[in-house]
Amino acid sequence: MSSPALEAFLARLYTDETVLSQFLEEPRAVAAAAGLDAAAIVALCELDRDVLVMTARSYRAKRAAQAKPRQRPSRFWRGRRSAP
Amino acid sequence: MAADAAVVVVAAADITGRRDRFGLGWRPELAAGILTNRDRIDLIEIIAEDHVDASRAGLRSLRRLAAQIPVVWHGLSLGLASTVPVDTRRLDAFARLVGETGAESWSEHLAFVRGGGVEIGHLAAPPRSPDSVDAACHNLATARRIVGGAPLVENIASLIDPPASTIGEPEWAAAIVAGSGCFMLLDLHNLYANAVNFGEDPVAYLHRFPLERVGSVHLAGGRWIDGPNGARRLLDDHLHDVPEPVFGLLTELGRLTSQPLTVVIERDGAYPPFADILRELTAARQALAAGRAMRAGIARAA
Repeated sequence: MSSPALEAFLARLYTDETVLSQFLEEPRAVAAAAGLDAAAIVALCELDRDVLVMTARSYRAKRAAQAKPRQRPSRFWRGRRSAP
Repeated sequence: MAADAAVVVVAAADITGRRDRFGLGWRPELAAGILTNRDRIDLIEIIAEDHVDASRAGLRSLRRLAAQIPVVWHGLSLGLASTVPVDTRRLDAFARLVGETGAESWSEHLAFVRGGGVEIGHLAAPPRSPDSVDAACHNLATARRIVGGAPLVENIASLIDPPASTIGEPEWAAAIVAGSGCFMLLDLHNLYANAVNFGEDPVAYLHRFPLERVGSVHLAGGRWIDGPNGARRLLDDHLHDVPEPVFGLLTELGRLTSQPLTVVIERDGAYPPFADILRELTAARQALAAGRAMRAGIARAA
């Protein structure tokens, strides 16, 4: 079982600290409020919550890293027809 | 030196003469090292999202680069394993890059990256189910139609076992590969991380993937991270050297397969001196050659 609704809920768990905190407190109620079906709610309630917290932290770190300005492609290759 | 000789002698080649190849992920920080060591690097893999809005001048630069060294494209943002249909505008951008540079192939992950209008910011494992197999095959057919060639599909690392999954990761990947006709880009560090994080034997876990459909391989490194209440996971961060067990998996893959493989080392930061990266490439050549030699020995014995 997989659905756009379940993916959307996981995306919120992984990105929204408030939703994550609420889910950790009351997983069944929060999942039900998101309109998920019974099977999805049961599956979410069985998640390892410690690993869920680690996962959300990991995604937060990834987003923070992406927010930093990236080095542009090197002029070493951009401006030359052939490399030395 | 003996090991280097083995690399030359023992490599898979198919009837078209294609052989095992070894390359690097193209990063600005590595550009100078790559271009001054082209004789030791067979190809580069470029992140498509870094160039999807390339100007005409940017595309010219990419064409010049592709004229110097074979290029393959690698995507991060399509979310091809989502149950939501892939955004065709994103595929149009990929088609432009692949077409303009004459790249031989492109690849994307078996992941979802957004949901309900929320961007996760990285790859996420979808629930592994018949529904997500069907959705991925549909998205891959769309991708093939728009880009003009099917992507190689890559297994991702996940700290969490995706909820509502009814299929194991290797079997799920195999079903998508069978249903879509795509080949796999098998990331051996992702595979290793998932195996150790979920209590599987890495070699046994490798055996469950559709190895006859593997066309390319990623190698990378990672680190252990700690969570609440003693939780511990191996994180695939691309900031560390390729660990020895991952080279061991490459040897095993070489032993089990006969098709030529393209092996790419990914590094996204904490860059060591380029000489160390070249040594890692040599280690990859040696690891795969060792597997090829075992396979050749078995074939001779039979």
